Amino acid sequence: MALRSSWLKAPWRRADRRSHDPYWDFFINTPPADRANTVLDVIRKAPAGNVFPTRADLHSPEVTASHVKEMARYLGADLVGITRLDEDDAGQPFAIVCAVRADADPREAAGIGGQVPVQNGLFVTFVLSAWIRELGYRASIATSLDGARLAVAAKLGTLDRSGKLVTAEYGTRIHVADVIRTDLPLTAA
Amino acid sequence: MAVTPGTETPPPPYLGRSVRIVGPVANVDMNQTPHPKNSRGELGKALFNWYRNTISRDPLTRVSAPNHFADQRNFLAAVVNQAPKGKINSKQVPVSDPAAMTRHIKAVAHHMGADVVTVARAHPSFLYAASTPPSGARDVYQNRSGDIYQGRTPAQMAERYPYIIVATTAWDYDKLQAHRHYIGDAAYHVSQMKAQLILKALEGYIKELGYAALRGMSNPQAAGLASGVGELGRNGLLIHRKFGARIHMPDPIMTDLPLVADQPVDNGVEDFCKICRKCAINCPTNSVPFGDKVVFNGVEKYKINWLTCYKVRPYMDAHWGSCLTCATVCPFTKPNVWWRSLTVWALSTCPIPARPVLVRALKAIDDRFWGTTRQTRVRWLGYDSGIKPGEQACTVAGCTAEHGTAHAAAPVGDLGYYAPLKENTNRFVKRDA
Repeated sequence: MALRSSWLKAPWRRADRRSHDPYWDFFINTPPADRANTVLDVIRKAPAGNVFPTRADLHSPEVTASHVKEMARYLGADLVGITRLDEDDAGQPFAIVCAVRADADPREAAGIGGQVPVQNGLFVTFVLSAWIRELGYRASIATSLDGARLAVAAKLGTLDRSGKLVTAEYGTRIHVADVIRTDLPLTAA
Repeated sequence: MAVTPGTETPPPPYLGRSVRIVGPVANVDMNQTPHPKNSRGELGKALFNWYRNTISRDPLTRVSAPNHFADQRNFLAAVVNQAPKGKINSKQVPVSDPAAMTRHIKAVAHHMGADVVTVARAHPSFLYAASTPPSGARDVYQNRSGDIYQGRTPAQMAERYPYIIVATTAWDYDKLQAHRHYIGDAAYHVSQMKAQLILKALEGYIKELGYAALRGMSNPQAAGLASGVGELGRNGLLIHRKFGARIHMPDPIMTDLPLVADQPVDNGVEDFCKICRKCAINCPTNSVPFGDKVVFNGVEKYKINWLTCYKVRPYMDAHWGSCLTCATVCPFTKPNVWWRSLTVWALSTCPIPARPVLVRALKAIDDRFWGTTRQTRVRWLGYDSGIKPGEQACTVAGCTAEHGTAHAAAPVGDLGYYAPLKENTNRFVKRDA
């Protein structure tokens, strides 16, 4: 939330400090004994709220798209892109793809620490989709959509051979959060 | 649970130079604090209806503020704080070196996104009074969940769970400049939601380590003072070395995890607040005292008038949710950059008798460059604090949409308009000194 000054710090310091921490591996890699001790499930399972009955007075789609991106970054997304879905059966043509930096790959690191990028991603997608609903437009978190493929369509990066997203900013150290589908008038990419 | 040697707290606790315990301290009953009082209707109809029965006009407030939502399911903190609590892991991780564990917990909280993490040695006077269930159920959010610790005395609790972890986030500086505006509310409420998510995750992690993590137990300001988050300012807020007054004080975690407690700090706030009075001058309701410290509940401190601070809120509902003026104008509230580090370092290393001279110089610099009142124009998303309260206009460059209700505002310059204006409230809110 505060001013990010991590680029000022020497890049080797962080890794060095972590290697002297005897509990860091437990934090990153040991899966929780009780799932209720993580916040992930409770946010994932939370039902979506109502769409506000009065639609907000919106700006033009380009401006709205930039506002959505700015809001996502303010909520903690490191990369955010918007793309138009090819097949649109739900009447929600736009997909908002948010991605957060991940030092450890959340698919391999099962500990609470390894899942922190997922937690940050859920924070962004929950609040962002709730905000769009409060603007008076539909927005839902679509877990069935392939985030990495849509991230490529939203011009965030490319896919490597194993299907992981590779970005110019963070390489493969990136976690793609759940995709938000919406009918908010936006422009792609 | 044995206390790590060398970190025992002498009675009464030392809370730094800004606050002194001079008499017996009665434990604070959480049910007698402002928000619970108001939710029971004890502050009158206007405040009750504003708190419980109004929906904000602002979409962002409706997803980020602890009330005024249209649908609670759109508010993340409600989801997080009403989640069931996890079990303590039966396989306890052994802690041979409490200092290493303290470094680890701080690194963990920072990794999750916290800006400030400290550890306080628990003291019985920090704890909320244990009142009888069912009305006295302690919890972070709307006093909802009861716990098995209800019957224990504060002294027993402080002995059994000797440490309090204070982890919190800072508000965004640039958005905070639009205090008394929805933009400032966004800085405040979004980082508050983030802090609550971080604390919930940290609580779960401590349980996974095999130790207890209790919420809704401790007064956050007392724990913050004892662990050196900052000093208590004239505005009744903790003032941090790096962030000034722009930090939250959410409900901290009480634990039996072996840790090493931090000590109170000296940032020069005590000397600054004696002279400055910027928050008192700017407060729209004159709730911040101009005078000296007073003794309240055995604690010598600056005491704000929380009731007048609270009472203006329903009337400003159309313009903002959280006032934040005293936090914004505080000279310690600056971006976290080298020149503010240098200044706070100079102030805190200056010998105490010489500090008034330095404070007067710094205050003059602050008044000259940041102004005696803060009227920065902030534009963010579609919001613009340069539009006069009550008017509507679209000032987004490149926007070609036809706005139904908006009409063009008079051109505004760099001035931000923040309602209510001080000259308006001065007519009917008397200063107390």
